[in-house]
Amino acid sequence: MSVRVVIVDDHDVIRVGVKESLDGDIEVVGQGRDVESAIEAVRATAPDVVILDVHLPGGSGGGALDVLAQILTDSPVPRVLALSVSDAADDVVAVVRAGARGYVTKSISGPELSDAVRRVAGGDAVFSPRLAGFVLDAFNAAGGEVAHLDEDLDKLTEREQEVMRLIARGYTYREVSEKLFISIKTVETHVGKVLHKLQLSNRHELARWAAQRRIV
Amino acid sequence: MCEDEPVSQSVRVVRPLRQDTPPSSWWRVLLGLLMLGMAAVLLAQRYGADDLTAWMMPLAVFIAALVLVWSPLESAVQSDPRRPDVVSLFSRDAWARVVLGVVLAIGSVAWFAQWDFNGQKLVRALVVPVVAVAGVGLVLAPWWMRLLRQVSVEREQRAREFERAEIAAHLHDSVLQTLTLIRAKASDPDAVVRLARSQERDLRSYLYQERRSPADSVAATLTQAMSEVEDAHGVEISVVNVGDAPTTPALAAAVRAAREAATNAARHGHEPITVYAEVTDARYDVYVRDAGPGFSPEAVDSDRAGIRHSIVGRAERHGGTATVTSAPGKRTEVAISMPRKEQR
Repeated sequence: MSVRVVIVDDHDVIRVGVKESLDGDIEVVGQGRDVESAIEAVRATAPDVVILDVHLPGGSGGGALDVLAQILTDSPVPRVLALSVSDAADDVVAVVRAGARGYVTKSISGPELSDAVRRVAGGDAVFSPRLAGFVLDAFNAAGGEVAHLDEDLDKLTEREQEVMRLIARGYTYREVSEKLFISIKTVETHVGKVLHKLQLSNRHELARWAAQRRIV
Repeated sequence: MCEDEPVSQSVRVVRPLRQDTPPSSWWRVLLGLLMLGMAAVLLAQRYGADDLTAWMMPLAVFIAALVLVWSPLESAVQSDPRRPDVVSLFSRDAWARVVLGVVLAIGSVAWFAQWDFNGQKLVRALVVPVVAVAGVGLVLAPWWMRLLRQVSVEREQRAREFERAEIAAHLHDSVLQTLTLIRAKASDPDAVVRLARSQERDLRSYLYQERRSPADSVAATLTQAMSEVEDAHGVEISVVNVGDAPTTPALAAAVRAAREAATNAARHGHEPITVYAEVTDARYDVYVRDAGPGFSPEAVDSDRAGIRHSIVGRAERHGGTATVTSAPGKRTEVAISMPRKEQR
């Protein structure tokens, strides 16, 4: 079954490049170059996955956040994979907290991007090593200075920390599963839970804090 | 400016008088206040409450003095709260009010000091200095606050100018220079790619990262070492740092070992090369990983110095460990672990 995607980026070259690099079973059904055309394209084609650049012209929240706010209320809800050159922590955290299911940087290779798209289409989360590193730092897994709040959403379990650490080290999900002797499905479950925590944690200051420490 | 602020300010400054008085009538207000004070004193004298005159009259004069001293300041603040120089806003009339107010304030305190406190010498010795200091403080307080604000505004402006000059200088030294170089080398794609990549990294770190010195930050040291490897071998290395600490000699050794591992990965392995470093209370862990093709660590000749000497040896001399995990056809990962407790 082919995955239908919409590519949103304000640079024509990047859209063409992304389209070229995607595998054959991923069908590009629409494109957007700014907030308005992105929302239009998504509504017109109802894709499985939206590959969304973080910075877009138009809108009032930097672009991606405006698009997310609009399309995530649609039905069926499209799944969003954020794609960016930006390493700024507040950007990363903002789009993930706004509902993106994953975050990859534009230096990602074609097969990896295709893999990420398929994964997001299947309802899983996609973490780049950078995002995994940020999560570890933000949730204090490495023993930083942020005070623990005694709520489950503000903590990573031992296993989740291990998984995040391996992803930060550059392991693929398959390699993580081999290393920890768990199934890929379990790895996906752990990553999904971490995404959930990242999105729902009541650390309101998460993004600001990340920006201050310039973690991602 | 919002409507509330000047009102609340005036309430704070001259609560009993200002309610329905237009700002231009300070002299009338002052006169009325003096008369009221006088009437109160006369009344008190008439009915024998001698104590009251001793402090009531000076108090009335002092309040009048406060009104006088504060009044020009308030209008100055209202006219432009961010304008730094208060003094130049003053007319001669305002100066006259300030001088008169200060004289009145000093006079009222001196007057108060004449009172004998019904013979209680100790009370007098305690109260008079306190009142004098409080009086001076009250007269000076808004001026002092004004001065503080002025200083902070000036400092802010200076900092902003400095920042702007620094950004301009940085862009000139880096981006403009690189663009010139790229134009000059337009016929050499490799050089252009290398220049563009190093400039991108430079700009990225300038924009998104705290500019910390390598001595303060082992994360900065590692990132810098990895960008040198990137430049030397024309590969891309993704570096993820979690946590940070000052660069102690042992941590610097770990970074050098990691650098050696990354150089090996750049030379023999495929991209992507990822480097992950994590600082915990107990340890500093660095993992350097490439995408194959891998080798068999046992099969490497013992006289080949790379792994044994540069990576493992460096780590072990400082009490750490380094392990190389690889096999033909697999990815190679070098894990360096350096204890931190001893450094404390």
